[in-house]
Amino acid sequence: MKTLTRRQFGLAAAAFAGAAASPLAQAAGYPERDITFINPWSPGGSTDAIVRQYAKQMEKVLGGSIVVQNLTGASGTLGVGTVVRARPDGYTIGYAGNGTLVYQPMVMKGLAWSRPDDLQPIAKLNSMPTLLAVRGDSPVRTWTDFVAQLRSRPGQVRVGVAGLRTSADLEMQQVNMAAHLRMRIVPFTGGSGESVLALLGGRVEAMAGYTDGLRGHVDAGAMRIVAVFQKGRYEPFPDASPVGDQPDFTSATLLPACNYVIGPRGMPPDVLDRLVTGSRQVVTSEEFKAFAQRGGLVLDPMAPDEVRSELLRVAGTYERLIRFLHPDKA
Amino acid sequence: MDAFDGLLHGFAIALTAQNLVAAFLGALAGTLVGVLPGLGPLGGIALILPITYSFDPTTGLIAMAGIFYGAMYGGSTTAILINVPGEAASAITCLDGYQLTRRGRAGAALTIVAAGSFVGGTVAVLGIMWLSPAVSRAALLFGPPEYFAMLLGGLLIFSRVSGGTLAAGLFPMAVGLLLATVGQEAVTGEQRFIFGINELSPGFTLVAVVIGLFAVAEMMHLVATREQQVAPVSVRLADMMPTREEWRRSVAPMLRGTLVGFVMGALPGPPSAMSSFASYRLEQAVARHRRELGTGAIEGVAGPETANNAAATATLIPLLAMGIPFGAITALMLSSLMIHGITPGPLLMRNYPDLFWGLVASMYIGNVMLVILNVPLVGVWVSLLRVPQYIFLPMIVLLTVIGAYSVNNSMLDVWLLPLIGCVGYVLNKLGFRLAPMVIGLVLGPLVEKHLREALILSGGDLGTFWSSPVAVATWAVVAVVLCLGFLLRPREVAADD
Repeated sequence: MKTLTRRQFGLAAAAFAGAAASPLAQAAGYPERDITFINPWSPGGSTDAIVRQYAKQMEKVLGGSIVVQNLTGASGTLGVGTVVRARPDGYTIGYAGNGTLVYQPMVMKGLAWSRPDDLQPIAKLNSMPTLLAVRGDSPVRTWTDFVAQLRSRPGQVRVGVAGLRTSADLEMQQVNMAAHLRMRIVPFTGGSGESVLALLGGRVEAMAGYTDGLRGHVDAGAMRIVAVFQKGRYEPFPDASPVGDQPDFTSATLLPACNYVIGPRGMPPDVLDRLVTGSRQVVTSEEFKAFAQRGGLVLDPMAPDEVRSELLRVAGTYERLIRFLHPDKA
Repeated sequence: MDAFDGLLHGFAIALTAQNLVAAFLGALAGTLVGVLPGLGPLGGIALILPITYSFDPTTGLIAMAGIFYGAMYGGSTTAILINVPGEAASAITCLDGYQLTRRGRAGAALTIVAAGSFVGGTVAVLGIMWLSPAVSRAALLFGPPEYFAMLLGGLLIFSRVSGGTLAAGLFPMAVGLLLATVGQEAVTGEQRFIFGINELSPGFTLVAVVIGLFAVAEMMHLVATREQQVAPVSVRLADMMPTREEWRRSVAPMLRGTLVGFVMGALPGPPSAMSSFASYRLEQAVARHRRELGTGAIEGVAGPETANNAAATATLIPLLAMGIPFGAITALMLSSLMIHGITPGPLLMRNYPDLFWGLVASMYIGNVMLVILNVPLVGVWVSLLRVPQYIFLPMIVLLTVIGAYSVNNSMLDVWLLPLIGCVGYVLNKLGFRLAPMVIGLVLGPLVEKHLREALILSGGDLGTFWSSPVAVATWAVVAVVLCLGFLLRPREVAADD
């Protein structure tokens, strides 16, 4: 056990030494010790890759170490709650998506936050538009084809998503609501991998997911991306119909998965300023842009206030959606 | 590139100094995290993940795979020596492994495990080389209805895994199923039976329950009976080596274990713990000395430990052939590839031949390293048993507490240990078997999830459970195994009681 920890420590120290020695390191007071960055999702998957990339670059910008801690559970609310309740000294910050920040407080009781004002947004990292995929041999080629299929077989067309009330599920429910469609949304519980298998195995007619999990199958010809739920062309899949440009859909009905960096409310202004400007520097860097392009992430840098108003806007959409899904509870 | 060319190419990559070091360090770290109860390959890989980002992706993947299969070598050590399973997959190894230790055959058992792990690991690598595409096509035939049939069958079949009367197995299994309902329900996300304790939301932590059930309960038993835990141990080389008879009896279980482990590992549904249980059950049915199982039969160690190694290696198939991770560990590996901009998918093998064949070749090398590493270590582990009991027991208590805490960094899991330990102690006193409880806890949520997914897919039509040939075949296999179990029962019970 001793050998293990000592070696790990050595390796970790070696990895961090590079960051500390960088010319960008500044002597300013903050940060004086390691910053804990809480990722409310498990290691692995697209979230973790984004977080690690951000942390890696942010270490160079701030000239200190950032320790990423995966604190998972309760749909991301355990990790986000820990950040919100942390001492506001700038040494505990974290990652959060719009689902955890806005949707969960509407359906879960006893969380440490209920409105965007209860926490401090630091930056918007990226957004990912939802994609609709069908099997490579499917006759459905465009969004219009898909809607025609839905209308001819109401309630029969199955669309797999990575779990009930995940971003992809909410997006699909939203589409059902906005366009009066009746697709049967099947929540798989084992993450998007299970819906990929179900689509390839012909158990569902389509699935909603994101670039990282789908691109490999599209490249292999096993899948085709029919639609992208955003306005305008989506570079990674230029042939996909942009649903946001369809007459029935306004931008208000689109719910991309958005990722933010947040901290507890009440951080000292100079610390907050370092974090906000540093994050902006990271998100607008060429390195981060290249990383985003590889993963099909859409960059949309935002200041804290802009993040707040975006969250409030999303809250309105979710409220309408909850009324649609649970008319009895409203 | 055909398999042979590919392998040669792979060795050229794996034999560079950097990749050799990565394979060795991975295997070593894997053995250590495997030996420590609680800390498993997942924790080990998560720790080194940030470090792998700064190496090239092949090197990182080689190190992570090394930890993964290295942990399978080490995982059974504490199960055999002190009845503390390092993870759920080793729970079944406790049954015979610990009995062997009490008879003074700990060294032999550990050597057999190292050999079995080598066989399971290397044969499964052959499978990855030649069968990946075919296996991943076959996996598409399995969907929720088929997995439901398979897992429900597993639940029934494995409830009798540790012998005894029908009730001795079924009752603890039902308790395990009940425990499994605690926490966030998988399909709707509804919280069940958590009584406002948010930490319970992910459910009872499997490792804490398994350690409590086996290790803590066993320690209570040792203290209560004032029994010396093992026969006096000597660490002479002659006692480390299995006898010719033990080797002979291990060969067939190892081969059967490899097959069972490979199939279970390559299918994206069943958890790897199921492979060692399945192998043990198979030995109970077909091994020539099956009546000795449970009292310290070498087959009960050789089969399951080979199976879980083969399964660990085979779980890389869905990842490498389809780019789909089906466990937390393969998800971590995927994440390290993605940060290097490698999009996993069916084309991985063609687009990144260096990565694929380098990894495959490194697994041969890693397995050889592990045998060389583990056989001399056997003596070290066994000599631990000579520590007097008044020092030994507190040491193990400390180890289990650290192990339980380290899984989720949660104190709740630590409090769970004495609680579950008491449950295990009482159940044991009353003649119930504990392994079926683990099975209930592992498979319960999966059975429920596949049942509900299947019904959502079919729109509530129950016919879906026998609508495909694969599902019907699975039910038939389950029925045959169950009937055979009952037909063979009278003789076994006679031997049992």
